[in-house]
Amino acid sequence: MTNTADVVVIGGGAIGASVAFALARRGASVTLLDASTPGRATSASAGGLWSLGESLGLGCGVILHTAQQGAGDGPAPLPRTLMDFLWASNLRFPSLAAELRTLCGIDIEAEAATGLLYLVYDEEQERHASRIIEWAGSDHGAVEKWAPQHIRDRDPLITHDLRSAIHFPGDNQVNPMLLTEALKRGACAKGARYLAEARVRALRCSNGRIVAVESDKGTIACGAVVNAAGAWGAQIARLAGIEIPIQPVRGQIICTEALRPGTLRSNLSTRDCYILQKAHGEVIIGSTTEYCDFNTEVRYEDMCSLAAGAIRAVPALRKVTLKRAWAGLRPGTPDELPILGAAAELENFFHATGGFRTGIVAAPLTGEVVAASVLGQTPEFPIEPFLASRFQRIYV
Amino acid sequence: MTPPAIVIIGGGPAGMSAAVAAATQGLSCTIIDEGFALGGQIYRKPTNPERAPAPHPRGEQLRAEVAKLAQQIQVRNGDNVWGIFDELRVAVTSPDQHTELLQPQALILAPGAHELVPPFPGWTLPGVMTPGAAQILIKTMGVAPGKRVLLAGTGPFLLAVACQLVDAGVHVVAVLEASSRPAWLSLPLHGFRTPEILAEGLAYLSKLDRAHVPVRYGRIVVAAQGETELNAVEHAPVDAEWFPDNNRIETEQVDTLLVGYGFVPRLQLAQMAGCNLELRPDVGGWIPIRDRNLATSVAGIFAAGDGAGVAGSLVAALEGQLAGMAAARFLGAIDEATFAAARDSIEQELARLKPLRRALDKISALQPGLMSLVRDDTIVCRCEEVTWREAREAVCAGSTTYRSLKMTSRAGMGACQGRFCWPFLSRLVAAEAKCSLADIGPPSARPPLGPITLGALAPEPRDK
Ligand SMILES: Cc1cc2nc3c(=O)[nH]c(=O)nc-3n(C[C@H](O)[C@H](O)[C@H](O)COP(=O)(O)OP(=O)(O)OC[C@H]3O[C@@H](n4cnc5c(N)ncnc54)[C@H](O)[C@@H]3O)c2cc1C
Ligand SMILES: Cc1cc2nc3c(=O)[nH]c(=O)nc-3n(C[C@H](O)[C@H](O)[C@H](O)COP(=O)(O)OP(=O)(O)OC[C@H]3O[C@@H](n4cnc5c(N)ncnc54)[C@H](O)[C@@H]3O)c2cc1C
Repeated sequence: MTNTADVVVIGGGAIGASVAFALARRGASVTLLDASTPGRATSASAGGLWSLGESLGLGCGVILHTAQQGAGDGPAPLPRTLMDFLWASNLRFPSLAAELRTLCGIDIEAEAATGLLYLVYDEEQERHASRIIEWAGSDHGAVEKWAPQHIRDRDPLITHDLRSAIHFPGDNQVNPMLLTEALKRGACAKGARYLAEARVRALRCSNGRIVAVESDKGTIACGAVVNAAGAWGAQIARLAGIEIPIQPVRGQIICTEALRPGTLRSNLSTRDCYILQKAHGEVIIGSTTEYCDFNTEVRYEDMCSLAAGAIRAVPALRKVTLKRAWAGLRPGTPDELPILGAAAELENFFHATGGFRTGIVAAPLTGEVVAASVLGQTPEFPIEPFLASRFQRIYV
Repeated sequence: MTPPAIVIIGGGPAGMSAAVAAATQGLSCTIIDEGFALGGQIYRKPTNPERAPAPHPRGEQLRAEVAKLAQQIQVRNGDNVWGIFDELRVAVTSPDQHTELLQPQALILAPGAHELVPPFPGWTLPGVMTPGAAQILIKTMGVAPGKRVLLAGTGPFLLAVACQLVDAGVHVVAVLEASSRPAWLSLPLHGFRTPEILAEGLAYLSKLDRAHVPVRYGRIVVAAQGETELNAVEHAPVDAEWFPDNNRIETEQVDTLLVGYGFVPRLQLAQMAGCNLELRPDVGGWIPIRDRNLATSVAGIFAAGDGAGVAGSLVAALEGQLAGMAAARFLGAIDEATFAAARDSIEQELARLKPLRRALDKISALQPGLMSLVRDDTIVCRCEEVTWREAREAVCAGSTTYRSLKMTSRAGMGACQGRFCWPFLSRLVAAEAKCSLADIGPPSARPPLGPITLGALAPEPRDK
């Protein structure tokens, strides 16, 4: 069976679904192909929209840093381009949520005023946090230092045993699965086609172009191909004879039974873990950052350290029942920036991967800029810093 | 304390027999069972011996054999194994939330099975339960589940529970067996080598007959009625594929309905240990792949009893023995000739039981008509209260695996991790998406299997 589609998007995580939606919205004919693979990042993720907290290294970054170096100075912030990109992407959530609700009736649970609180336990952390606030500047809203009393007034369950907290006001959360499902159904409502369990096996090339995508659900002739296969992005690129430096980065995460919604108002991050309560009431505690190939096992020791970190931040969690632990594979890159836009080697092949720790918050804008570049339009955020060609010096 | 050579998870006939076999060869074993006493499902010990019926003699005998080997066998009752991690590390938590990691040299999985209940309109009403749950009430506490009870489903277990209810003085209105009477009448052809089991079945039937409890073949329950609790049950005759004839529905006023369509192996421990699996609907669904010595694909892990394929308590005990011997062989406690001789005699006995078991599996094999009962508003995942409409919409939008359906509809997202809903939900999904059960796969198993608190993972400094 041969099907035709102008654009084939490979990978149905948050990124692929967002690209498909943005393309379909622009009137392109799109086929979205996905395969369910253990470790898919989107369904493993916490759904934090921490454009500032993560960029400044005070989300997963600080957990990794602590695990590697012990306490002490925190990690360096990510490049400012990424912070600007994530900030712009984050700003799109309110209108995107409204649009998706109207289009396909799904509430993506994009919370408005949760905010992220980075808990500061000791003096060294406090010095590091002050430097970070200074570096961040005030372009992106009022990052503030909160005193213990203020923290307690807002979130009484947070430990009293801390010095202060840094508040990132715009860093809220979303339900990553519902976001992805709504983007996918929204794309379909705009005419896209979705094929589940359509693992891509081969890319047929001819004269410097990809002419067809071979999948478990048939071969699809195409005008362009988008590689949105997340941590498997390097494998897809290799099908076209291209190397990109995507590496799976495991994140383990644990989740409690549902507690009364509103038990925790803020998203919290600490140097041991981050903690956030989802709309259904479960509290999610994440996450490790590890390079161990495509292994998606959960380790006992890591469950213990996440639990201990959560209890330190919110002592009442000690008596709460643990529901489940799992692990996902982030699409990691060496410089922590995503890989987006045209592949230099083939005329009609585009990347949309490397979302790493922030692929959920980055999804809306990633969809827009990749769709624009596929269709030869000017992306609304400069895509140059994210092109795969930046690695050419190292990889050629 | 030095770790035991063998950890056995499950203290039913399989687990107890495994421990006895291995301990007899001088190996130290620990049996872990979440129940308050050894016995497992069938040999459950009463908590209220004055009121409950006397425990089964075979169970008493196994418990006595374990007790005799107390030097070798440590029994941990009430503890929950909630995870198996790399290098055969077993995470165990006691009711006071004390957690320990045991690292034996061999592991025997004997977790048994759980009951299979299909979703149908009204199945979540109070008053609808499983035969096993009713049996636990009677066996442990001597308490009757209700006043007027109807049993429905398939398999000899229904008859056994009906008899126990009769003995407990409960009014059993009827037993509805989904399979046809001719199918059941053919059983003696397959059971001539196991007359004692046939006799047990006949004894059930004649007891029910004396108590004027009708056993009606070829009928299934299609709906349960009631506002806040069960007050009536609708049932109908079925064809060979168990599709009900809705023009011939009868209604029965009852306060309790017990529904059981057989058993599903408790697969999760094997999954967490990374054992390779296969789909075997004839023995209850997904099971760990085992070789002749009951070894799984993971070195040092053996699986026995209903948890590795539903086959009843006699097979479970024999498999337990074999797994115990195989673990002893694996650890070098016996030589190959001794092991082979033991295996031969166990295999002979297993072969004797097999024809009747096969025939029973065939008679009780789930038929597609059972999957036709759900309506749009029928709940298909109890933990998350997901209706068939919600699940079906997700399937239509492309969520055709456990993982994707869970993410988009929350079905299977609850504490039971799909253990109870997935055996039927996967069949509904397969029918809707026109794919095979094997494509859809088993639910994934993630720690913790049983409830533990966060504190169980992070002891307070002073308890260290
Ligand atoms: C534990 C954890 C917590 C996280 N928390 C956050 C957070 O709070 N906030 C945030 O912004 N980010 C977070 N992230 C990061 C974020 O989840 C990822 O960056 C993002 O989900 C990446 O999306 P993706 O669509 O690129 O990848 P994925 O979601 O992995 O999707 C890729 C898809 O491609 C499919 N695929 C692979 N190979 C093929 C093939 N050959 N054919 C067809 N399909 C294929 C895969 O099966 C998969 O469905 C977290 C990640 C983890 C692991
Ligand atoms: C509810 C029920 C009632 C039954 N009643 C009868 C009957 O009356 N007559 C009959 O012939 N057959 C009956 N059966 C079938 C019969 O139980 C089995 O054929 C037989 O008991 C199988 O033995 P086993 O050792 O494999 O498992 P089981 O006897 O089921 O023993 C398994 C044990 O492992 C424990 N366990 C499982 N997982 C864990 C864990 N993670 N941590 C700690 N402990 C764990 C369980 O609590 C259980 O005690 C029943 C089955 C069920 C499910």
